[in-house]
Amino acid sequence: MNNQTETLGKKRNLASDISRLSKDYMSVVGIILLAIIFSISSYLKHGAQYFMTLQNWTNIMLQSSTVAIVALGQSIILLTGNFDLSLGRNVAFISAVGALLMKNVGMNTGLVVLIMFALGIVLGAFNGVMTAYVGIPAFIATLGTQYIAYGLAKLLTQATPIPNLPASIGWLGRGYVLNNIIPISVIMMLFVYIVAQFVTSKTKVGRNIYALGGSQEAAFFSGINVKRYTFGTFVTAGILCALGALVLMSRLNSVAVTNGQNYEFDAVIGSIIGGISLAGGKGRVIGTMFGCIFLITMFNGFSQLGVDPFVQDVLKGIVLVAAITLDVVRNRKKA
Amino acid sequence: MQIRLDADMDKDYVLGLKGITKRFPGVTALDNVSVDIERGTIHGLIGENGAGKSTLIKVLGGIYHPDSGVIEQDGKQCVFTSPIEARRAGVSVVHQEIKLSETLTVAENMFLGNLMLKGRQLVDWKGMRRRAQEIVEDLGMDIDVNETVESLSVAKKQVVAIMQAINNESKILIMDEPSAVLTERELDTMFRIVKDLRDKGITIIYISHRLDEVFELCDNVTVLRDGMHIDTLPVADVSKQQLVEMMVGREMGLEYPKETAPIGDTVLEVKNLKRGNVLKDISFKVKSGEVFGISGLVGAGRTELARAILGIDSIDSGEIYVRGEKINYHSFKNAINEGMGLIPEDRKLQGIVQVMSVKKNTVLANLDRVSRRGVINAKLEEQYSKEYVDKLRVSTPSMDTEVQYLSGGNQQKVVIAKWLFRESEILFLDEPTRGIDVGAKVEIYRLINEMVNEGKTVIMISSEMQELIGMCDRIMVMHEGKKMGEMDRDEVTQEKIMALCV
Repeated sequence: MNNQTETLGKKRNLASDISRLSKDYMSVVGIILLAIIFSISSYLKHGAQYFMTLQNWTNIMLQSSTVAIVALGQSIILLTGNFDLSLGRNVAFISAVGALLMKNVGMNTGLVVLIMFALGIVLGAFNGVMTAYVGIPAFIATLGTQYIAYGLAKLLTQATPIPNLPASIGWLGRGYVLNNIIPISVIMMLFVYIVAQFVTSKTKVGRNIYALGGSQEAAFFSGINVKRYTFGTFVTAGILCALGALVLMSRLNSVAVTNGQNYEFDAVIGSIIGGISLAGGKGRVIGTMFGCIFLITMFNGFSQLGVDPFVQDVLKGIVLVAAITLDVVRNRKKA
Repeated sequence: MQIRLDADMDKDYVLGLKGITKRFPGVTALDNVSVDIERGTIHGLIGENGAGKSTLIKVLGGIYHPDSGVIEQDGKQCVFTSPIEARRAGVSVVHQEIKLSETLTVAENMFLGNLMLKGRQLVDWKGMRRRAQEIVEDLGMDIDVNETVESLSVAKKQVVAIMQAINNESKILIMDEPSAVLTERELDTMFRIVKDLRDKGITIIYISHRLDEVFELCDNVTVLRDGMHIDTLPVADVSKQQLVEMMVGREMGLEYPKETAPIGDTVLEVKNLKRGNVLKDISFKVKSGEVFGISGLVGAGRTELARAILGIDSIDSGEIYVRGEKINYHSFKNAINEGMGLIPEDRKLQGIVQVMSVKKNTVLANLDRVSRRGVINAKLEEQYSKEYVDKLRVSTPSMDTEVQYLSGGNQQKVVIAKWLFRESEILFLDEPTRGIDVGAKVEIYRLINEMVNEGKTVIMISSEMQELIGMCDRIMVMHEGKKMGEMDRDEVTQEKIMALCV
């Protein structure tokens, strides 16, 4: 009897190990598959390799880095069982303020960077206060912030792009290290993800975040300050918005109200593909980085194949629904 | 043998289950179960969690389809492929989590999916209200049929669900643990209604955890264990002890294995605690090594008292002393730091983080003890959680199993382990054995013994009077936010408590 239960336990562990591994690294496998498919189709369509080139991959990684930095904030919020709709427009608003201060006011770049981060904190804190302390559903509170941020961004820029930013921030989005191969923005992305992965998986703070996502009530009844943690995750997301805004404006060397557009949704798709559950409390943040790279790789490949950009929007919608379906199926309890 | 067979021939069976088997991946939930149900009787269905009770109800209610076996109604084979078909055949289920439309009225709910019509399309509201009123009066209930369901008490909601079944002209009414959410007084009303229905010829299948109810209410009883049919017999022919042994499949020791621990100094003193209408001037003292019970009906303010002492709810006035020192705190966190802990009422929602592992749940309230500078030491975590899980005899496939997959009793042990790991000295246990198997209950009682033997203090809130009488050194009775009295173990009786409860 005892032996039987023991082997049963082991079997169950093996099965759960496999399912966990496939979940954690599904996006990595996905990226490899996409790479193979697009390399072959590049040959078939153009008779030459345009996809599997250093330049194209640098491009993919550059694009991924900004989305992924913002998506990290979304992932942390998702882990607690909340949601932030304002992230993309926050990026636009923060960039707009930054660009105006640099170009029109001529403020010192370092100071502007500080102000941009402060702004990110303020936006995150607003979401956090409304959600954690006032008790408005995150969905509604952050939808409000989204409109406020977008409106302010349009107002400030008069919906006109601001090009040619000071050279002093150029290195962030367009700089390279190691024989000019590795973009600095990618290093930035790796850095924030490694830190976040460590914090979420190894520290007390991280454990409490997962507990919150599992059950806010149980977390509260274990002595965790649920409100403070909820607030903290929104502020963290705000800070990451500011970093994302900086890297993006530097890479594009321009600020427009479309900067960061739809990032909040791309972040959700990336998070879910990366294994984070919409229900909260499950998944690893590092997965989100791969999820975002997967997403960008896919659209890069489609563009090279000449798929109509409007069709790409449709595809994005399909990927979002598919990813959420996958999440729901994955979390469905066995009868 | 012959005689028994003849007797069986006389009986009129309204429902017969013949060799029902239902398998799920990895488990056989029902294994060749055959039960006959006599017409116009109350038939108890008992068994521990996982015995197959719910699966059986779902098969009867048309939600699950058996892998093999047949159901016979009035001697004829029948197949229910959906709840609607079952309802048409006169089988209604009153689920534990009552499924009513909260924002609709009582009358509207009773006719849900079965509206009375005037002509072909128009709804006959007047007719429905009249019919609803008739049923309410028939049951001798005081319910306004124009009231929305959300404003009713849980007990009345259950009655509405029963009225729905009556209205559907059900011949067989299946009730899934109705008593779990009722107070003693509401229970009396429920029993009366159920007996009335039986006398009108309706057959009732009554699922319960509480054996006392089976004896009070049922004519026959069926025991299930591990998906197997153990026995079906008249309640008059069996003792409580025998039923328990059939359910757990082994001999049971004492129902309440109370051990008296050495009593020490006063550790918690509450003076003149007031909070709005819920707590009216409550004072009491508890010593170390004591199990202090708080009795009262649901709504008497028992949980509210615990919440106020634990800093979860604010108080209007009053003082709290821990080990003689007055404490001023504003949050649950402060109370925890004063050495208090809470095993909350709703285990699944408040006690455990279901999707987290046994290991992580065990250390959750005291991560500082397994971390250094905020970083968790995995080795220490594994070692400590293992120690506590072993100490509390939690039965789990592994430390990394998600707590949601454990049985109720083992989940509750994890919650207790969490507070023992926090080294809490004053533990509030709010309904610690609710929804837990008979066998596992005794284990929880043993843990209570162990806690007080180690000099801790246990404050136990419970709706099960027997449990308080069996386990507590002292019992305080509350009613409508007031302290009605306090009794020592040697003078307490159920009658004395009841007299103070109302």
